[in-house]
Amino acid sequence: MLHTGWLVTVLLTCSGLAAGQGMISGNARPLARVKASGRPWPVSFVDVAAEAGLTAKMTSGNETKKKFVIEANGSGVAFLDFDNDGRLDVFLVNGSRLEGFPAGQAPTNKLYRNIGKGRFTDVTKAAHMDHSGWGNGVCAGDVNNDGFLDLYVTYYGRNVMHLNNGDGTFTDDTERSGTGGLGDEWSTGCTFIDYDRDGHLDLLVTSYLQFDPRSTPLPGKFPFCYWKGSPVYCGPRGLPYGRLTLYHNRGDGTFEDVSVASGIRAVKNFYAFTAITADLDSDGWPDLYIASDSTPSIFLQNRHNGTFRDIATECGLAYNDNGSEQAGMGLAVADFDNDGRIDITKTNFIGDYPNLYRNLGRGFFSDISVKAGLAVNPDYVVWGTGFVDLDNDGWQDILQVTGHVYPEVAQISASESYKRPRLVYRNLGNGRFEDVSSLSGPGILQEHSSRGAAFGDFDNDGHMDVLVMNMHEPPSLLRNDSHSPHHWVKIQLQGVRSNRAAIGATVSIQSSGMRQTQAVLSQSSFLSVNDLRLHFGLGAAGAVDHITVAWPSGVTEEFPGVPAGELYLLVEGSGQAKPLPLPK
Amino acid sequence: MSTLTLIAAVAFAFQANPDALSESAARLAQRGRADEAAALWQRALTAQPGHFPSLFNLGFLRQSQNRNEEAAVLLARAAKVKPSDFSTRYIHGTVLLKLDRRDAALHEWRAAIAAQPGNFKLLQIMAVEYSNGHYYREACDAARLALALKSDTPDVWMIAIQACHDARDPSVLELTRGAAEKFPANARANFEYGYQLRRAGLREESLPYLKKAMEADASYEEPYFFYGESLLLEDRYEEAASHLRTALRIRPDYMPACIALAKALMGQDRLEDASAELQRCSQGNSNHPQPHLLLSQIYFQLGKEEEASREKDLSLKLRRAHPEFMESPQTRPFPVPGK
Repeated sequence: MLHTGWLVTVLLTCSGLAAGQGMISGNARPLARVKASGRPWPVSFVDVAAEAGLTAKMTSGNETKKKFVIEANGSGVAFLDFDNDGRLDVFLVNGSRLEGFPAGQAPTNKLYRNIGKGRFTDVTKAAHMDHSGWGNGVCAGDVNNDGFLDLYVTYYGRNVMHLNNGDGTFTDDTERSGTGGLGDEWSTGCTFIDYDRDGHLDLLVTSYLQFDPRSTPLPGKFPFCYWKGSPVYCGPRGLPYGRLTLYHNRGDGTFEDVSVASGIRAVKNFYAFTAITADLDSDGWPDLYIASDSTPSIFLQNRHNGTFRDIATECGLAYNDNGSEQAGMGLAVADFDNDGRIDITKTNFIGDYPNLYRNLGRGFFSDISVKAGLAVNPDYVVWGTGFVDLDNDGWQDILQVTGHVYPEVAQISASESYKRPRLVYRNLGNGRFEDVSSLSGPGILQEHSSRGAAFGDFDNDGHMDVLVMNMHEPPSLLRNDSHSPHHWVKIQLQGVRSNRAAIGATVSIQSSGMRQTQAVLSQSSFLSVNDLRLHFGLGAAGAVDHITVAWPSGVTEEFPGVPAGELYLLVEGSGQAKPLPLPK
Repeated sequence: MSTLTLIAAVAFAFQANPDALSESAARLAQRGRADEAAALWQRALTAQPGHFPSLFNLGFLRQSQNRNEEAAVLLARAAKVKPSDFSTRYIHGTVLLKLDRRDAALHEWRAAIAAQPGNFKLLQIMAVEYSNGHYYREACDAARLALALKSDTPDVWMIAIQACHDARDPSVLELTRGAAEKFPANARANFEYGYQLRRAGLREESLPYLKKAMEADASYEEPYFFYGESLLLEDRYEEAASHLRTALRIRPDYMPACIALAKALMGQDRLEDASAELQRCSQGNSNHPQPHLLLSQIYFQLGKEEEASREKDLSLKLRRAHPEFMESPQTRPFPVPGK
């Protein structure tokens, strides 16, 4: 036998292109954690959804295997006081499934009225909110300035404007308002914004991608239809991009599509999710920031003349600190370092870190997530998020809800799973955060595949709670059973020249030398709506010394200090802070 | 009549004997008469299609002639006849890799290793190829097996460290410590240990190893870059810039160092200097999107909005044209039939 005589050893290496993937994933590793502060963490969450009566199971396509990306993204939720009784009610956006439902059996969105003492009652039908369809996002605002919050819900299909009648019911005002869209789009994010400061809320709607099940490729069909070597649903990469639509409120209840004239439509090539509006460059005009999946995120700067321009790249908001695109999902805005400027955090896909965009002033931002200690949990797909002062120490903490997009992912990769716990980061007050998830109670440790999340104090006990959308399950209502001794105050704004819900306003309070700043948002987290009442922890301070409101009208107004432990109504132009009841 | 002609004549006479044909062919091949050898092996295979020596040797001949498609077919047939023959599986794997069929190559090599588990060299090759295929878990396992067989050169340690780092294997810190202890004068061994210590949050402990790496090899750019980048994270811009400049002096086309240097300069509000640095880097690597991204930010801050917009567009265009610069490959498990 001669064959072994010719052997030669050849070390061959070939370079190969990156394996295809539908979503941007950075293969990031968890970075070292900061040494534990050792400070007591008084926050503990418990899920009280079932006992509160929030029992509706959410629908979003097939539970075990997703054929198309539309089944994977879930929907938003809202904490809002729709009946002005001082208690936060709950609105849940529901999805659908590809094969549809028999007549009369399709799941609907859900509206639950808070009846006090931690209980909710389902008023969906009575309130005429039993709308079916493939719902995605929700945003809130007082479109007609009548003192009652209206809701806009985005769909794969026709979007719906729900006008609040003020008597516990809503009217579908989509047709008259002209805000339904084309009817075949997959809309996701939305936010009310008074971009021309005329006192009437306009509306921005984002769409994720152009989806048609008849033409969308099936799992494994293209390189972008794989996850770690296994065929999964395709997208978003490789699928046709979404678009932005801006509706101008004429002030008579009807809207006009100004997407082209405003420059919004010129922004192209993105897969857009959550949209927020706030004055990010401190020029007195509301801007827009949109989290985009697997494409650069979008910062639409208001040019004061009815037009916008996307300067996310120039301002440091399009990519992460490393210059990489990310799969942006959720957004939260607040002044995390108490320097008077609104900062942003954005959640992303697995294998990546969340962003913490520190506002450097004049509209420039720097992603400091690594420096801030937030780069410690890249093994999560993160969706809803909030800047929220969980322990009332005067510093905005961060809470995130998580869950993978592929139900079968554990069979693909042993280190991944569809359901994951929530994440909580305590703001240490020195520009850094520490992961206190394991200390934050059973509600945080529960594993779900969550998407939307809303932040608010549903039991009015002075501790911020969380409402969470769970895929194919009822929602979670995470009650914050904090035993923090710290004080707090809540502020509710009422615009007069500005839109009545004061969407886009910025509030700064000063107490014991500490300055905190928050914005009133129509949408944030992941396609969700937070309590529009702003909650400020005060630490040991028993009172607020001074309040400044930058109204959406462009007027800045000063208000006197107030004692802690109350909710105050600040009416534009009144100069007075009026206490409001906080019914349990 | 020459000896070779005699061999050929004898072979012709015994054409029904594949072994004799194959041995004659091998002697012809050793004398450089490849075409004649190939003809004899073909005749042997006509007489006996499963004749292993002919399949193997003709396959090997074809791969040495760079006729890899033919070689792959012949070696696949040989492997069917003798599934546990190390050489067949090994060479078949190298041929398949040349044909850009990495997964198939790795399958062959897995069979080769099953036949010869102690083949250190092949384990190393497999570790590299698993990594190239983004099968980082398997790469780490293969590299560690290789290391267990032979650990007397830094290279085998470095292959294992890289593979296990990519696989996010918890053993990587221990591996780097072992390399630094075994090769205390080796710059890369010290750097890798310092790097992993820093990643584990042990900043102070990492510094001596990074410094040792710099001292051991002043022409090794990575410790300077990493040291500079660490300082950048702490907002120590001037010190960071100094180390990053050193890294760039050693390797002028070192893009990560260039980007980090630009950030250090931006941190000092030296926008014009940062701009100049980025322009220099982009000339060195005109396809990389990163310099243009930072240039768009610098121009915007300088009020040069048209230039900022142009750089933004260029950055995005390059990002789409050259995704390999900014996107990480997915790690994935090696596909094993039946699993």
